[in-house]
Amino acid sequence: MAHIASGYAETAQLPVTEIAPGIFVHNGVHEEASKSNEDAIANIGFIVGADAVAVVDPGGSIAEGEALRAAIRARTDRPVRYVILTHVHPDHIFGAAAFRDDRPGFVGHAKLPGALAQRGEYYLRRLHDALGETAAGSEVVPPNLLVSDRLDLDLGGRHLVLRAHHPAHTDNDLTIFDENTRTFWLADLLFVDRIPVIDGSLVGWLKELDELTAMSADQAVPGHGPASVLWPEAAASERRYLEAVARDTRAVIKDGIGIADAWRYIAQSERGRWLLFDEYHPRNVTAAYKELEWE
Amino acid sequence: MIARAVFPLLLALIAFAVPAQAEQSEAQRAARWSDLQHAIFGSRLVEDAGDLVAIDAPARADDAAIVPVAIRVAETFAPQVSGLYLVIDDNPSPLAAHFVLGPLANPSEISTRVRIDDYTYLHAVAETKDGRLYATARFIKAAGGCSAPAGKDQALALERLGKMKLVVAERSGPAAPVSAKLLISHPNSSGLQMDQATRNYIPADFMQTLEVTYNDQPVFRLESDIAISEDPGFNFSFRPPDPSGPGVLKAEVFDSSQRHFTQSWPVPAAAQM
Repeated sequence: MAHIASGYAETAQLPVTEIAPGIFVHNGVHEEASKSNEDAIANIGFIVGADAVAVVDPGGSIAEGEALRAAIRARTDRPVRYVILTHVHPDHIFGAAAFRDDRPGFVGHAKLPGALAQRGEYYLRRLHDALGETAAGSEVVPPNLLVSDRLDLDLGGRHLVLRAHHPAHTDNDLTIFDENTRTFWLADLLFVDRIPVIDGSLVGWLKELDELTAMSADQAVPGHGPASVLWPEAAASERRYLEAVARDTRAVIKDGIGIADAWRYIAQSERGRWLLFDEYHPRNVTAAYKELEWE
Repeated sequence: MIARAVFPLLLALIAFAVPAQAEQSEAQRAARWSDLQHAIFGSRLVEDAGDLVAIDAPARADDAAIVPVAIRVAETFAPQVSGLYLVIDDNPSPLAAHFVLGPLANPSEISTRVRIDDYTYLHAVAETKDGRLYATARFIKAAGGCSAPAGKDQALALERLGKMKLVVAERSGPAAPVSAKLLISHPNSSGLQMDQATRNYIPADFMQTLEVTYNDQPVFRLESDIAISEDPGFNFSFRPPDPSGPGVLKAEVFDSSQRHFTQSWPVPAAAQM
């Protein structure tokens, strides 16, 4: 093992917590992407089987991806067989290039390539704006293993079930269920503490939540929030927020209030209950309004 | 009617593409507006609109790809107005919209949602029936809207392409103008998003003209391009020639991919007082 670790001595290890046997999660900070946090703002991590490792989101920058890889190499010399990209957002995917030499399967939702085509370059430019030279080397890595409904991955004595979801947080959300520990990795279909971001379909997300919360699991991993939470209890706040936004947005549309003023009337009861509320709530309202005005 | 030659996107891109420069001086901004006036209006005099025209927009946009903008025209001035221009000075294609108003239009307020690429002045210019131009300005802080990704749900966008929705507000009486909101499902893509995998730009695909008529009489014709947000939306109002009778509002869209969409809606007669 020492010879493996020595090659990575220069790279600091990303701090991770083993939330269940063989499941390691790095707890992202509740901030916007910046040079100082290297866009390590999401919960990311890896799952170790008897034969191989699956990364669940390589992180928000090449720097975070490399630190995650160092954390993996400090714990196992088993190959990284899969890098799962749970959705298109930059804080989850821009570390992918750190794993390219491992030649893993880059796993994504069947709609991820389309979303990356639309958004990848823009996100990369924004990453450079936020991180400066720290962003150098971060890349859009398109998935080469697509999930349109369900995909089962075998890590050796460890069976992961990946599900592709209908438009909810984005139009390309994947979740991962680890059968061994009954751990449900929801990525950004579950926000805890940090305000949810609506970038797919508000109505779709509420529908997906109905199905997701009907599943039983011993614990869940949110895309933002604590590394491990109770399921389905941890979804309650998110549902309350999304329902409030849907209800109030429908009401303002009905009353003929324009999109510019809508946020003043929508889900203000949620202020103070979420981190980064003022940064994201008005944008969520715009997204909700644009979606619901077609009803 | 202004010749379409003023509009070609390419001309705008070549002539006015500027690097992102949020910290331009006021003198630079004024010079740019002067260049734009010349490009759009030639040697015509553009006067200060004073209180006659106003722009309503947030000082800072929450989402630069969907910035609500309203042009308001003073009630007493509205009957003289035959056209409205919306210019986003620092956009790659600055002339965002030109509304040519028909006889039924009530130009006291017209609003839409636009993409804004950089901290910029917006200019609204009203053209009067006797050919004079009156401009007003507003500064807005927003960035990245033109290259920002469209489409939260790409499958839905394709499925709904070209569909329209009209919402008519209840009228307070037969004399009141009819207020309407028109939504058009269209990606209105700017062509400024590069596919990293293929290194190709996703082709621009945007609404070029929108014609709205009521009982076959023009309400307005809009000439526009990539600055209008995805799923273009417009709030406008008009005065039916016969408010006591029902009518039909029709919208026709022509886009840059040579598609043509049309849809009509019955507009009920005003309730009798």
